[in-house]
Amino acid sequence: MAETTGALAVATQARAIVGPDWVVTDAAQLRVYECDGLTNHRIVPGAVVLPGSTEQVAAVVRLCHEHHVPFVARGAGSGLSGGALPTEDGIVIGLSRLREVLDLDAPNQRVRVQPGVTNLRVSEVAAPHGLYYAPDPSSQQVCTIGGNLAENAGGAHCLKYGFTVNHVLTATVVLSDGTIVELGSEAPDAPGLDLLGVLIGSEGTVGIVTEALLNLLPKPEHVETLVAMFPSTETAGDAVSAIIAEGVVPAAVEMMDRLAIDAAKTQTPITWDTEAALIVELDGPANEVRSQFEAINAICKRCGADAVQVAASPEERLTIWRARKSAFAAVGQLSPAYLVQDGVIPRTRLPEVLNGIRALADEAGLRVANVFHAGDGNLHPLVLYDNAVAGEQAKAEAIAMRIVELCVDFGGSITGEHGVGIEKVCSMPKMFTGDDLTAFDRVRAAFDPVGLCNPGKLLPTPRLCGEVPGFYHTHRVETAGLGERM
Amino acid sequence: MADLAGILGADRLSDECGTPILTPRDAAEVSTLLEAASKTGLALVVRGGGTKTNWRPEPTRCDAILSTAALVGIVDRQPGDMTLVAQAGTPLAALQAAVTGDATHHQRLMLDGVGGEHATLGGILATRAAGPRRQRYGTPRDIVIGARYVTGDGLAAKTGGTVVKNVAGYDVAKLLIGSQGSLAVITEVSLKLHPVPDAARTVILQTTAVAAVTDFVAAVRTAPITATVFDVRWPDGVVAVRIESTPDGAAAQIDLLGGFAALEELSSEAGNALLEEHLAFPFSGAGAVLGVGVRPEHLGTLLTAIAAAGGLFVGRATLVAGDIVLPDLDPERITQLVQAVRDMGGNVQARRGVETHRLATGAAAPGVASVEAAIKQQLDPAGVLV
Repeated sequence: MAETTGALAVATQARAIVGPDWVVTDAAQLRVYECDGLTNHRIVPGAVVLPGSTEQVAAVVRLCHEHHVPFVARGAGSGLSGGALPTEDGIVIGLSRLREVLDLDAPNQRVRVQPGVTNLRVSEVAAPHGLYYAPDPSSQQVCTIGGNLAENAGGAHCLKYGFTVNHVLTATVVLSDGTIVELGSEAPDAPGLDLLGVLIGSEGTVGIVTEALLNLLPKPEHVETLVAMFPSTETAGDAVSAIIAEGVVPAAVEMMDRLAIDAAKTQTPITWDTEAALIVELDGPANEVRSQFEAINAICKRCGADAVQVAASPEERLTIWRARKSAFAAVGQLSPAYLVQDGVIPRTRLPEVLNGIRALADEAGLRVANVFHAGDGNLHPLVLYDNAVAGEQAKAEAIAMRIVELCVDFGGSITGEHGVGIEKVCSMPKMFTGDDLTAFDRVRAAFDPVGLCNPGKLLPTPRLCGEVPGFYHTHRVETAGLGERM
Repeated sequence: MADLAGILGADRLSDECGTPILTPRDAAEVSTLLEAASKTGLALVVRGGGTKTNWRPEPTRCDAILSTAALVGIVDRQPGDMTLVAQAGTPLAALQAAVTGDATHHQRLMLDGVGGEHATLGGILATRAAGPRRQRYGTPRDIVIGARYVTGDGLAAKTGGTVVKNVAGYDVAKLLIGSQGSLAVITEVSLKLHPVPDAARTVILQTTAVAAVTDFVAAVRTAPITATVFDVRWPDGVVAVRIESTPDGAAAQIDLLGGFAALEELSSEAGNALLEEHLAFPFSGAGAVLGVGVRPEHLGTLLTAIAAAGGLFVGRATLVAGDIVLPDLDPERITQLVQAVRDMGGNVQARRGVETHRLATGAAAPGVASVEAAIKQQLDPAGVLV
């Protein structure tokens, strides 16, 4: 196959760039890279290259460009939408060797890191200076900054502090032809287009981040956290609306239903026995937090909370967050297999959507656990299934897709933080028209005219999804005379 | 031009100093207009309230102005979700009044109305304009959650949505914000709203010593203080901090601030007036106006350079970003300041004065310039939007 030759040719020449130890072509070793956190999609790549510097990444990308070989960047591989899924004729460019914290500039409250540095490590190195990095995806112990930029990672605290895009000042990026560019600016108000803003969240389709300058925040003076136990997700949802109506923007508002709580109990020493647990955290100046926290405590009780537990110590707070952040993985204790879904709804529609999800689950005869960022309407239904039962995985996948499409019906989005990746490309037309998608495709083409940078992700293709009405256009590969439609 | 007027009807075409003005009624008309202009090779300049037209260089050609004056009104407002969708030609002041006027919900739209009462939502986005309250709420890029737009060749598309959290598709709004109308016409915008705090208090430090300013700014920066406004006015020698919180929270923060320097608290009216004055500053007086941004550590150097060049400055103390007015439009002084800011690794953008644009416009790095050109080519292939 000509394509395999292409990937192998790149791998062979890449040895001279990165050193022979950092190129993987052995079939068994390649399997390590066959999937990311979306494990029900697996493709063994043509080869894996592990560069040790920005220049090496650029040289490898130039090789791919010369040989017309597609490539995908990979950080920790913890993404949940298959954004780092390889192509069999392509190269995986792994960034695991680029894991240095390059420069911590405490007076200016910023830190320069390589893409393979984990999210949590950034806050750890900033901590001695009273600073921290605000985006905190649940996978923060393992997920890397490069992946965070690719996915515009959020986390529990983005309700108040925003997403990755709000906390990155500059990024060094290798474009699809191997050009190295510096996007963004160390100072505010740079002239020109906000290319950094479109790079962040582009799911590896416009370039590879090889360095990033991140903004750090002073640690809040005071933090208060409570868990309110509600008799139903509906009443907990009412409390969320009431908190928002009070004019308080908590640092985080998270909800877990009984099934998710049961899962978390297998991993953490929590004793919550309720249909819905609402975790509310406030942070900021002490007096402000204290007065608002009292108000929230009262709101929870008024909205029907049976009990409210307040974290009395940092350790208790940590336990609450461990329960919340471990919930995804803990569901593995309740079910042989499960899918993690990610959809967004206007938070006022929470009760209707949760009922809709329940109806879908009942109809399919599957269990769905709900763990979500209630404050911003970002749902994470976990669809439990048994992969040993024939057809159950397909059923679970179908339900997962119907859930996100339900979110769109209620005016929401198919993804709040996990990305479109490969998982949701065929749901994109549910949310966007053919013209919307054409405009997206043009943006992509501006960065990657040949279509080598993580192809098949983010936007639907006829091959994966069938023809999307109104979306036919000449592919860039055709325009460039590099291939033709069968 | 007759063709374009024919698309809209004669009543949608007016004339200003010899330049025809086209006023489409909806996105569909914008689309038809741009498609036709693409085919006939016309050059159009997009205009909202026309309050910041001098924030960009004079267009080299302009066959007509495409006005968003008829794209007005709130499309949707969801107080429970704290979101607002409005047409791009709506004056920002009207939107803010509509939101804050709803006494039951205590919400507000935290885009700063840079340019005064005629400034439109679309214009604020296109110029990436932000004022004092960016200290806490950021710039349009932090408040916009979605947009509808029409590309230069007439493709009407959507990016983002109406929910506050969403990563589906490219964030094209980021590209449009600050693009000066050069890529697409923004027709509709979705925005986040914020709650109105119960208390607002403003204190000022008056000093003409740069070191006193930088010491105070450094102390506040690391203190548990969440300021909505943290501005410096120079060489007047005023540092203003506005705290918005619960009454308790505001009181504690004001006390804390008082521990760093001898401060004077302003009355509520005076505090609001100061905010308005700072918002209007880049439009005040005469002469050249430069928008500048430097790293936090360079605040002192910047203030010194501005005073040396005879400039006046109002800007955000910790970001650091703001505007310089140079009353005498002296090219040498403009050049001197532009160079001083660039030497600090900072950014400069001309806001007013043809000469200012000539002297302050720098070239993008080669790789970046190619991508910018490719984006322009993709979104406005015929070069209609100038």
